[in-house]
This record gives sequence, C-alpha cells and structure tokens, in this order.
Amino acid sequence: MDRTTCREAVARLYEYLDGELTPEAAEAVRRHFEICKRCYPQLCYCQAFQEALRRAAQGQPCAPDHLRARLAELLRSEAARPDS
Amino acid sequence: MDRNSSFEAEALPHLDAVYRFALRLTGSQPDAEDLVQETFLRAYRAWEQYTPGTRAKSWLFTICRNIFLRQRERSVRHDEIVQQAAGRTATAGAPPAEGLLFAATAPDDPEGSFFRELVDESIFAAIDELPQEFRDVVVLSDLEGLAYAEIAEVLDIPVGTVKSRLFRGRRQLQEKLYAYAVDQGYIKPRANHG
Repeated sequence: MDRTTCREAVARLYEYLDGELTPEAAEAVRRHFEICKRCYPQLCYCQAFQEALRRAAQGQPCAPDHLRARLAELLRSEAARPDS
Repeated sequence: MDRNSSFEAEALPHLDAVYRFALRLTGSQPDAEDLVQETFLRAYRAWEQYTPGTRAKSWLFTICRNIFLRQRERSVRHDEIVQQAAGRTATAGAPPAEGLLFAATAPDDPEGSFFRELVDESIFAAIDELPQEFRDVVVLSDLEGLAYAEIAEVLDIPVGTVKSRLFRGRRQLQEKLYAYAVDQGYIKPRANHG
C-alpha cells in the first residue's frame, strides 16, 4: 500500500468525518478506507468515537423552564416597545 | 414572515444550546441565565443584520461570547482568564499525522467498540477534564455540531487552529475514555496485538 496515500487519508480522516471535505476529496478518502486493510480500523475507531459523542450530545441538559418563560416575557415586552 | 415569527422560528430553537454554552462560559447557573437573556435580547434587536438560514446557532454563540468577554473585562472579580495557548497553536492548516498512522490509542480494541459501552456521564466528565482550549473546540464540534468555520468565528481563532486543537483534543479524550473503559472492564484484552 502506498504510504503517502495512507498518510493523506489518515491526515484527512476527521475532516472527512466532519463533512468538511469537497465531494471529490471525500470520495477519495472514502475509497482509500474501503480498500486499505491497515487504515480501515482507524476509520472504525474514529466513527465509533464520534457516534458515542453524538449520542451523548442528545442527552445534554436543556434550559430550565423558568428561563424559557422569562425569556418569552422579555422578548414580548421588547417587541411591544415602539421602534426608535 | 414577520420579525417575531422568524426570530421564533430560527433563533429560539437554540435556547438550550445557548444556555449550555453560557453555562460553560460563566460556570454559574444564575450568571448563565442572565447571559442567555442578554444574548437573545441583543440578537432580537440585531435581527435585521442576520441573514436567514445562515446558521443562527453559531451567530448566537458569537453574540453570547462577546457579551461575556465584555462583561468580564469590566468585572472587578478575578475570574478564570482564557489561557493563551502559548507556543501550542498549529502554524499550518493540516493536523499532524505523525504517530497516528498505525498507532492506535486503543491497542486492545483498535476498532473502538468500547466507545459504545460508555455512559454519557463518563463522556461528559472526560470532556470536562480536557484543557480548556481542547474542551472548547470538542464541545462546539462534537456536542454542538458546529462546522470548523463556525467554531473559528465563535472562538475568534483561525480555522487551522480549530483543526489542530480538534485533532489533539479528540486524541486526549479518546485516551481518557480508553483508560476509563479499561478500568470498568469494557475492554477485553486480546491475545495478539496488531
């Protein structure tokens, strides 16, 4: 396996997973991980990591109800003010 | 759509995220609540300056952080200061690949299946232990889903620095979570290492 290509693919792994690459560049990275047995576990590893974080992200705390209510009231009175 | 309904539709859905962001900035629930109200008030007043559909969340985060920084400058209290990442920021855009190429941070579970066993609390605790400069980017990217350009804008740092800190922050986080997983017995030691 061409080590330059492996090095490039691994260097761009997070950009690939984060959706920051152009479609062409993303496709090149995807193809490399599809065929390279040595790099593939690295992709799995980072994907599993990001999935765990994404799952945790959904369980994050929300704003307390009283804050939500206070904010609604604040914006209502702001909207009622005459424009300067 | 009039101003009130468009603000309600585009900005208010991010209340929870802005609250969490404010909580991290201030470290105090009452201060965070005040900061959130100030943020949405400013955002509402500046709503004409916002282009619809262009990532209201990061726009709100930026407003929030700016208010916080200005308040802190005026404050006589000795709060925790944002540490200068002295000599540790990346100079180029691409993160270092050296050491990563075939060196997994989890030799006994190279595909990272142990990540699935972790409960959310352990993940949050590990994130909170990261140095602030790493924690900020990991939170904004992996918990709040911001793009690199958005993170750069919110934190007022170059995109190259975002990438570099994400790379190093995530790696540190992975090492912490791996150590935790070994502690908890999620990792089954393998007979042969690759």
